[in-house]
Amino acid sequence: MDEHHRNDTDGMSRRAVLGGLAGGLLLPTFAAAEDAPIGTYPAGATGDSVFVGITVPLTGAYAAQGQDVRKGFELAVEHLNTGNELIRKLSPLTKRGVLGKTVSFGVADSEAKPNTAIQAQSRFITQNKAIMIAGSVSSAVAVALNKLAQREKVIYLPGISGSNDTTGKDCVRYGFRTCFYGYTAAAALAPVLAREIGHNKKVAYLTPDYTFGHTVQQSVEAFTKGFGWTTATNQVAPLGAPDFSTFLLNIANSGADIFVDIGFGADAVNSVKQAKQFGILDKMKLVVPYNTPFLAQQVGAQLMQGVYASSDFWWTYSEQNEIARMFVAAFEEKYHYKPEFGADDGYLQFAFWADAVERAGTFYPPAVIKAYEAEVRRPSTVGEVYFRAADHQLVRPIFVLRGKAPAAMKGPDDYYDIVELTPGASVMQPPTLFGCKLGPYT
Amino acid sequence: MRLASSDVRRRILPELALALVLLLAPLIAPWVGFTADLLSRILVWGLFGIGFDILFGYTGLLSFGQAAVFGVGGFITAYLLTNGLIDSVLVALLLGTLAAAAAGVLIGLLALRRTGIYFAMITLAFAEMFFFIENSPLAAFTGGENGLPGVASPRFALGGFVLDIRSGWSMYGFLAVCFFLGYVLARRIVASSVGRVLIAIRDNPLRARALGHAIGAYKLAAFTIAAAYAGLAGGLLGVMQGYMPPEAFTFDTSGQLVMQTVIGGAGSLIGPLVGAAIWLWLRDVLQNTLGLGPAWKLVLGLVFVLLVTFLRRGVVGGVQLAWHRLRPPPEPVAAAVVDASPRAEVVELHAPVRHPLRENGPALEVTGLSKRYGGLLANSDIAFTVERGELRGVIGPNGAGKSTFFKMLTGEVAPSAGQILFNGQDITGHGVTDVCQRGLSKSYQINQLFGRLTVRQNLEIAVLAERRGRFRLDLWRPAARVPGAAARVEQVLALVDLAARADLPVSVLAYGEKRRLEIGLALATAPSMLLLDEPLAGMSPQERVETVKLLRQIGRDRTLVVVEHDMDAMFELAGRITVLCEGRVLAEGTPAEIQQSRAVQEAYLGGVHAA
Amino acid sequence: MLNWSNFAAQLFNGLATGALLALISVGLTIIYGTLGVLNLAHGALFMLGGYAGFVAFQATHSFLLALLAGAGFVMLAGLLIEWVVVRHFYARPAEDQILVTFGIGIVLVELVRAAFGSLAQTMPPPAWAAGVTSLGFLIYPTYRLLVMGIVAASLLALYLVLYRTRIGMVVRAGIEDAGMVSILGIDVQRVFLLVFGIGAMAAGFAGVVNAPIVSIMPDVGDNILVECFVVVVIGGVGSFPGAVAGGLIAGEIMSLTAMFDPSYSAVMLFAAMTLVLALRPQGLFGVAGRE
Repeated sequence: MDEHHRNDTDGMSRRAVLGGLAGGLLLPTFAAAEDAPIGTYPAGATGDSVFVGITVPLTGAYAAQGQDVRKGFELAVEHLNTGNELIRKLSPLTKRGVLGKTVSFGVADSEAKPNTAIQAQSRFITQNKAIMIAGSVSSAVAVALNKLAQREKVIYLPGISGSNDTTGKDCVRYGFRTCFYGYTAAAALAPVLAREIGHNKKVAYLTPDYTFGHTVQQSVEAFTKGFGWTTATNQVAPLGAPDFSTFLLNIANSGADIFVDIGFGADAVNSVKQAKQFGILDKMKLVVPYNTPFLAQQVGAQLMQGVYASSDFWWTYSEQNEIARMFVAAFEEKYHYKPEFGADDGYLQFAFWADAVERAGTFYPPAVIKAYEAEVRRPSTVGEVYFRAADHQLVRPIFVLRGKAPAAMKGPDDYYDIVELTPGASVMQPPTLFGCKLGPYT
Repeated sequence: MRLASSDVRRRILPELALALVLLLAPLIAPWVGFTADLLSRILVWGLFGIGFDILFGYTGLLSFGQAAVFGVGGFITAYLLTNGLIDSVLVALLLGTLAAAAAGVLIGLLALRRTGIYFAMITLAFAEMFFFIENSPLAAFTGGENGLPGVASPRFALGGFVLDIRSGWSMYGFLAVCFFLGYVLARRIVASSVGRVLIAIRDNPLRARALGHAIGAYKLAAFTIAAAYAGLAGGLLGVMQGYMPPEAFTFDTSGQLVMQTVIGGAGSLIGPLVGAAIWLWLRDVLQNTLGLGPAWKLVLGLVFVLLVTFLRRGVVGGVQLAWHRLRPPPEPVAAAVVDASPRAEVVELHAPVRHPLRENGPALEVTGLSKRYGGLLANSDIAFTVERGELRGVIGPNGAGKSTFFKMLTGEVAPSAGQILFNGQDITGHGVTDVCQRGLSKSYQINQLFGRLTVRQNLEIAVLAERRGRFRLDLWRPAARVPGAAARVEQVLALVDLAARADLPVSVLAYGEKRRLEIGLALATAPSMLLLDEPLAGMSPQERVETVKLLRQIGRDRTLVVVEHDMDAMFELAGRITVLCEGRVLAEGTPAEIQQSRAVQEAYLGGVHAA
Repeated sequence: MLNWSNFAAQLFNGLATGALLALISVGLTIIYGTLGVLNLAHGALFMLGGYAGFVAFQATHSFLLALLAGAGFVMLAGLLIEWVVVRHFYARPAEDQILVTFGIGIVLVELVRAAFGSLAQTMPPPAWAAGVTSLGFLIYPTYRLLVMGIVAASLLALYLVLYRTRIGMVVRAGIEDAGMVSILGIDVQRVFLLVFGIGAMAAGFAGVVNAPIVSIMPDVGDNILVECFVVVVIGGVGSFPGAVAGGLIAGEIMSLTAMFDPSYSAVMLFAAMTLVLALRPQGLFGVAGRE
């Protein structure tokens, strides 16, 4: 029986058989010897290909964003396997595949639920020997998978995760985040708002009732305080409410000048549409501190004109940046629409992972992590970036966007002007501020 | 190693089979695409489901809010472990389980006041409220939507030997032990008297109550047991994956539990485990093996609709059905033959009585009894006294208020005015359970049996009420070991002549047999006074003769009050007869006096005229 | 924000949101009342109505035609669902009915997702009902005012059908006692089919009415469904007037709670339901003993 196991499923059965028979007596006693087995290494890196496990929401309220992230991942895998020119700009050592191995992947539906995501990724890790796992649209999933990654010693790369915690108090040695988060979004947005809209404004907040919503609200409040902005009302709405009328009525009656809508996904779409119905958008300036991919497409340019939003990426950046141009072109050719920031983050994540592995020269996770932590600067679709060693957060520019008037749009997807590209280093908190402790390599 | 007897072997066969499956699962799992993680999850769901099955499959209470207690157990355990308040995982699990049980008592006290869809909705409401509290006011403790990461794994130090449970197969082993113990415990509970009463509540709550079981307390016990299992499972989920997810509290969790239980087969304890295995495996197969992308859920929905449509009793139920078809039970035909033969009574058969007829004074004294339904006066100012050992007949035209009168006597309906003294004690408004426990019991006009149980099990429910009282939480003692219960059941079986049919389900009995069982149920509570509501209704002439004989026999040891339309039988049986008409006592006297009473004749003739 | 003008505004808004909830809940309660089936596909039928209306609107640019198309299409879907699946479940336990309709709901949602994708679709209100109207004490979206009118009219129409026509009489008799209807020699099968169709139609109609307010998305029915349960239970399961009253009460509870602490607005609904059930088990308009 044992023999068969070994032949059949190789590395996993080593765990299985030893773990099963010895009842988990395996203590992590091995020293830092370079090739000591850890996580899915070396089992997941012995063949001609390596496997990557992807979980994103394919159904449920975040499905549209999840699909966007997935496409970014998939395009990157395709580029890695074909040694595409674009990916080699981000990962200069890449030739074909990663360390010469083809990258294969599996996609599972997380339904935006942490538990489901853990279940799917656990399967990819044990069954497919995933050498790396990836994907999220909400921080709840990102935080959960962070912890799974640290426990299983498999590198994890979130897709979209806006919470400060992901590389803050819940950061892990095995997780790396490219996308922006509440704190940086607010920090980048505030000076632009002061400059464009003015000082001493009264603000009404619509805050979805969960940690992410509250952190973003507090960040915006804190960063705009210096410009004399005060809070007229903070309407905390239940997550996933289809009808925001009661909250919007309070906002309409609050006498505010600015309406800050913190909802994400379907919440953002519904609340913006309904704010328009209540005449709020006609008398207040709408600000979306953490933009939802496809928000403009779903509510229409009419409603988005003049709206300020911060984002990770906007495709018209391709007019200024060659890598962005190549990315948008390649993405559009394959998927027939302009990539949103989820796709961009997906692509960046895989490209930089390939880069780190190539620089490490091995899939051995501690070596790969150290390559990540070398703070090597790379060009990208958003300009030059690098991972901060102390909290594994990508230091990257934040886009501040303003919705275009329908008449000013040059094409159907030309929803925003890029008002500002705020350099990442200037808006990031010191790595210790949110209590990040990365944990061990092994 | 040989087991003591084939009986013991048969009794613990399910446990042995489960142990074997749990032991072999890791060896088979890789062949069918089950990982250690997946099996561990299935075990957590299965354990969660055992409790739910006791509540739903056995007691018949469909809850949509099990997530509330699952979450409480999970988050308390996870909080204690992540904040370093408790070092021992086992202690934290125990505290989480207790907290969930406490929450279960709280929710149960409110939710169990209703049944059916309303019960389901209240439990759902509690789950939603608990989720809100976890997500919003208590977010600082629970991590809000991010949940609680970093839950410790168990570690056991046995002497110098350290057992460190980490993820993978060692975790599976730990959970398998938990599940096995949970299963063994649940089997004990289900086989205990409490388990029997729970099944009775599922089948016919009103009769269970009328037989003297405090069904409210038993339901609360079932709800609490389910909550404790849920709490333990919730705690184990956090421990298993080192992370307590917030969606433990959501409606999806409650819904998935119900789905898995129904697919697997309710009322089998093992069904939820089977359902979880199918459900989680399908997810995997549709997404990973078939690579359906987002369409996986569409296919899952279709498969689910088909499963519910064609597998009526779930997978376990289907397997049981197939097994019984392959191996038909011993021929029940012999019983029918026995039934046709003349009654083998002749010998003196005495039915049980809990209060011997020694004391003096009347058995029942009713004064000024009235019942008003809105504007309708069903009974008005009834005075009614029955002496000990008497066999009293109550007659009256349709709508005379006989049924209402009986319902007040047994406590099923509270009177608007008046007093009922039973054996000199005031039982007015005491409720049917209490009245039955005092020795006053009734057989119903329309059979009130436990339809899915056998004849023997039916009587056992009644006997257990008399042996154990209104409520007792003897979860560890098998029902069969309740002192004197088995003998009592045999005694009543013989008395109502159903010994040969004892192990058949009630549903296959002939009408006359059901009628006798109906009387037997009331008799098995050993009443000192028995009310019989139209015991002869719908019987053939032959059956009537037999039943009259039976009534005479049981009347020897106790007081009987019989409502009957069959005048001939009544005049033959009863020592005295009371006539009710339009909710009042019209006349009372010996059969001869009543037959000659002009008032009575007019009442009946008047009834004819009016019709 | 506690002041009189906000109180008046929220009171009015509660009425408007409640009216919409009532409309959605009516279909649920009619089906439960007559067939005894708690239809968990109701949210999905509501969603389907929105999409059917959206497609019709894309083709014709007529709001009225969208309404008719949405209601008609979902009625057909409802008839089909009853005919193929649900009718085989009347004799089965309640949990089987709940689960099979739940499964049907999943299938409908995912079919729509496969056909239209997950992005929200937009259906504008009729041009003349866009914008806002000033009511003196508050400025309110014109379309939501229109919705109140539509709901009132359609509930009245449904009331007339149920209480003033022969077919309605049969349906109500079915609600009271399905066994009685069959004794009267009426084809119960067909009554049930019809009732399921009408209930589905009400959901589809509500879906179109709701479409200009809330985005058309595959998951839009999920949240609505739970709210509808609460409405139906507060009003009394199976009661037509109960669903209307329950809807209005639910709307007011959410609106008025939002004045004090908006984050509690959803949970208060459940607290209120628990309270109602504790005090009046059969719901406000329900018949005692029906469960």
